[in-house]
Amino acid sequence: MTANLPAITGIGSVTPYGPLAGLIPACSLQPSAITAWTTAGLRRAFLVEPFRPASVVPGLKTRRLDRLSAWALVASSLAIQDAGIDLSKVDRSRVAVVFATGFGCVELTESFYQSAAVNGWSGTDPITFPETLANAPAAHVALFHGLRGPNIMVDSKSFAGECALIQAASLIRHGQADLAIVLAGDTLAQAVYGWYEAADLLSPACYNSEPLTEAAGFVPSEGVAALVLEPVGSREGRSYASLRSGRWAAGGQPFKTIRQMLGGSVPNLTISAGNGAPCATSPLTSLAREIAGPDAPIVPPQAVAAGLAETGALLHLILALSSRPQSGQALLLATSGKSGFAAIHLELP
Amino acid sequence: MQETIVVTGAGVISPYGIGLAALQAGMLSGKCCLAPAGDMYPDFEGTTAQVCGLPFLAEGASSRYSRTDRLAAVAAQDAVADLDRESLAFRESGVVMASTVAGLSEIDPGIVQDPIAWYRHGGLARAASYPVSHVAATVGESLGIHGPNCAVSVACASGAMAIALAANLLLDGAAPMILAGGSDALCPFTLSGFNSLQALDPGPCRPFDQNRKGLNLGEGAAVLVLETLAGAAARHANILAVLRGWAMTNDASHPTAPHKDGIGLADCMRRAMEMAECGADEIGYVNAHGTGTLLNDSAEANAYQSAFAGRSRPVPVSSTKSYFGHCLGAAGALEAAITITAIRCGALFPTLRLTDPIESEGIDWIRGEVRHQPLPLAMSVSAGFGGSNAALIFGSGRP
Repeated sequence: MTANLPAITGIGSVTPYGPLAGLIPACSLQPSAITAWTTAGLRRAFLVEPFRPASVVPGLKTRRLDRLSAWALVASSLAIQDAGIDLSKVDRSRVAVVFATGFGCVELTESFYQSAAVNGWSGTDPITFPETLANAPAAHVALFHGLRGPNIMVDSKSFAGECALIQAASLIRHGQADLAIVLAGDTLAQAVYGWYEAADLLSPACYNSEPLTEAAGFVPSEGVAALVLEPVGSREGRSYASLRSGRWAAGGQPFKTIRQMLGGSVPNLTISAGNGAPCATSPLTSLAREIAGPDAPIVPPQAVAAGLAETGALLHLILALSSRPQSGQALLLATSGKSGFAAIHLELP
Repeated sequence: MQETIVVTGAGVISPYGIGLAALQAGMLSGKCCLAPAGDMYPDFEGTTAQVCGLPFLAEGASSRYSRTDRLAAVAAQDAVADLDRESLAFRESGVVMASTVAGLSEIDPGIVQDPIAWYRHGGLARAASYPVSHVAATVGESLGIHGPNCAVSVACASGAMAIALAANLLLDGAAPMILAGGSDALCPFTLSGFNSLQALDPGPCRPFDQNRKGLNLGEGAAVLVLETLAGAAARHANILAVLRGWAMTNDASHPTAPHKDGIGLADCMRRAMEMAECGADEIGYVNAHGTGTLLNDSAEANAYQSAFAGRSRPVPVSSTKSYFGHCLGAAGALEAAITITAIRCGALFPTLRLTDPIESEGIDWIRGEVRHQPLPLAMSVSAGFGGSNAALIFGSGRP
């Protein structure tokens, strides 16, 4: 799998850390109180502070878009900027967009339901409807940047971010795109937060203003992370990491499959992409130790990325890269349920 | 050299019933399944095509599964009917399922008025089926397969894209076989949305007709079993068709409308033909996206003129949405199954109600009777909101 080996050459993000190009500077982050809708007492989450997209990306018009689409536009622009790519000099019919989301444009979906609640199904808003589609963010990224390659939205239970990364790498590897913008993220809407709450999945830290502790569990988060992928060596410039291979599955034999994928290599670092489910961490640690040895270092999952649930992988990776790990081979690893897993084999420069 | 991807199973649930044979028989008879919509929501007067008698899944609480999930699971069960379900290859299979509606069919406006109360009164399990990934997970769980599992939602191009992405995963060696397709149920949310856009024809749709007035929504699911030729040969599988080429592009021109000249779609078809290593003359039939809307059909006709320019004879094109409407995320997969059927039985299905076709040089609009002829190579084309396009080229699986 060395032909057209994809490398990560640009990073952009809109997360509770703010809109950022490149790596995310280390800082402590605590959940903040939800004010976007009325709550029965204090409710906290990792939230993106409101900002004007056009102040980050001049000329960006996002007035009628779901926040997810707006953030995808900002994050993709920042990633392209970080990669130092001048799109006017690129064959844009060969640029793909692969976007992972679990809930899609849920705010405008809520808004569409609201119009149905008020006016009946016969009185819904025609402008809102197309913007509720889950592929709207990817489509807006293509439209804004003029990208005419494959444009895809994917979701995968527990592993949407990893799935997007693997699918985008596949497009490059098979010559179906020369460059790919991979994005993953979600917004927190009232119905989503309410579902977590009703399902009793929230950490106690969501209900009080105590600092988040490691044992606190699941605090929902929101944001979009973006990566630029292009074949290794296709252009002079920096590479954050190259993607050697990737696998994910709903079950089976994770150890055997990952060992097979690694082909005899032993990663010297495991980056945990544990998601919001409280049980996700310890099976992951066991699997990581089985693969890389009992003393191999593991970058623990960051609560802000874990709160993104199935779309957190890209943010986990960005945060791990931001901690400036030593060069060598790394494994981005996530587990789910009894034997579900996602593993991406990376080469860090 | 790229490995050959073949189709070794096809499962369908459509308004004709369960199975490819029911679909084939219904279409060969020229039966139209479009009918006045029932009680989709008050004041809605339109035309739809519904699936009757959709079975419940055998296991688990029914509220866990949306109508879209159930359609997907039935089509998947049908697709794997001839497979050895105890084999390791089957258990390690992947799933790539497309949907646009997913669990929206189970949610009502009460969710936004008081979410907590709505969840408390039975909504919690129903809302769990909201993410599109739930459709793919349901297929995997219902069959007991545990390979890579994902969902695709790219508006009306979703079903075809699921097949294209599954083919890429097979080339990567991600799984021995992959079940790929799409599923979507009729629901007030989408009917209301398309109605608000004034995109619906109140009567049965007339794709590619100069007097077309819009689309009709339908529902259904189709799932193909894809594997490499080497894998299929090793288990002596019956090969239904060869997936010779696939491509995906985006117009990048408008959030909802297609590019009026169909530039992105034409590029997509050219890329698929390039992968299939075939010339424009070799495509014997195109199963069109053909929704029946003013903008789509004219853009699509322009795309065919461009992609098949220089062809020695007009390219035969029809829209089978005239039989059972537009099944959104399932459409590309259902139309892939219809294209495979066309190849296997040498039958080019006409567009129903096409009396006054769009004037387009280089296009042979199939209308009237079913056209019987050998069909070695055919293309299925999809496009959707957001400017996405997908093209799949299937060839005969017979040596």
